[in-house]
Amino acid sequence: MNLDFSQIVPYIPFILEGIGATLKFVIVSILAGFILGTILAIFKITSFWPLKAIADVYTSIFRGTPLILQLMIIYLAIPQLTGYDISAFLSAVLAFGLNSAAYVSEIIRAGIMAVDKGQTEAAKALGVPYRSMMLNIILPQAFKNILPALMNEFITLTKESALVSTIGYLDLMRRAQIAGADLYRNFEPLFFAGVIYWVMVTILTLAGRYVERRMRQSD
Amino acid sequence: MIKADNITKVFGKNEVLKGISTTVGKGEVVTIIGPSGSGKSTFLRCLNLLEEPTSGQIYINDEEITSPRVNKMEIRKNIGMVFQHFHLFPHMTALENVMYAPQKVKGLSKKEAEQIGKNLLARVGMTDKEKAYPNRLSGGQKQRVAIARALAMEPEIMLFDEPTSALDPEMVKEVLDVMKGLTETGMTMVIVTHEMNFAKEVADKVLFLDDGVLLEETEPNTFFTNPSTERAQNFLEKVL
Repeated sequence: MNLDFSQIVPYIPFILEGIGATLKFVIVSILAGFILGTILAIFKITSFWPLKAIADVYTSIFRGTPLILQLMIIYLAIPQLTGYDISAFLSAVLAFGLNSAAYVSEIIRAGIMAVDKGQTEAAKALGVPYRSMMLNIILPQAFKNILPALMNEFITLTKESALVSTIGYLDLMRRAQIAGADLYRNFEPLFFAGVIYWVMVTILTLAGRYVERRMRQSD
Repeated sequence: MIKADNITKVFGKNEVLKGISTTVGKGEVVTIIGPSGSGKSTFLRCLNLLEEPTSGQIYINDEEITSPRVNKMEIRKNIGMVFQHFHLFPHMTALENVMYAPQKVKGLSKKEAEQIGKNLLARVGMTDKEKAYPNRLSGGQKQRVAIARALAMEPEIMLFDEPTSALDPEMVKEVLDVMKGLTETGMTMVIVTHEMNFAKEVADKVLFLDDGVLLEETEPNTFFTNPSTERAQNFLEKVL
């Protein structure tokens, strides 16, 4: 079998730098998606229909088209339309953040709906303003219930982040490909990158379990 | 203190309240009784606008709360409510449940709210459970915390929506005792209940509702010994 891991040793620092590049935009995208998703989820449960319509159309578009297409449109078509030369990093954050928000908003909406209606009534009866009720009463309970689904979404995003290699962003995946091209051997660098993705996702999973345990204290 | 004028409530095609008018004076304890589905709870929930009446007016301290210009949140600060299923906040301890509204709604400091919370939990006999989360409490304990939580806003009026209906029989008394203690403080109370003995004992006035109509409005002795409508007689025969 033609296998020689020693050949990738010189490329290891180069590939490892990709971890930082990947994490940087994954973290920003997760945060952006989470915040925007929460806002969209609140739009979806209001009785004010224009907000609801906006959130529903938004979700429909971002869930209804391929992520790689959204990425390409942002990276390639924005310069064409506006003349603004958008960076690969910003394109990646926008595409992943906006896309993730659509999924996160559905998860959070379901979580909010699953909170007992009595909680809203109890808060209302105490004269608690809507904002405080959402932030202190409803959302903490909703998040507790949806944490596994949310973690799943974050894990998916971390893995799908490899798509940015298609727009030349020097993430983990792209670096493994470059190393492979230089060496004329692809298995070793790809395998190496695969292990790193797996470790990142495993850390994320464990962190999720830890948070879940903390939140279950009141059970 | 409370005046309801010809309140109706329609859910879809279902007319749940068919024109209820009554008054509750300051410091009065009023119990509402009647068969299931008679509209008791709906009427009670209209009083703090958890349900909006389809027509009719409700006045509290001469202010019309059913007016569209009214700020519901302001009205509710002055009216405490206790629910059949407690609705404690499950992610907060007993003490945090009681402290929450004074801090968030009245803007009290944590320290002030804690003082109020501890006093009220002592009053309902829950001092030793102040750090417990609701799921570690029995039904009766939950309901006592829920009463403390409502009292923490220092409301002028307390509404009770079947506060003992979801409790195991041996826990009913502890909750009724707390409520009885409250009647002695001069609190204005409106209580929907199936506890006839309790109603007889504490009420200044009994309202009997059937099918969305207020059939009787009398003092408890008259109602329980000599109800004027046949419907009330039948009801009492079944439940007493």
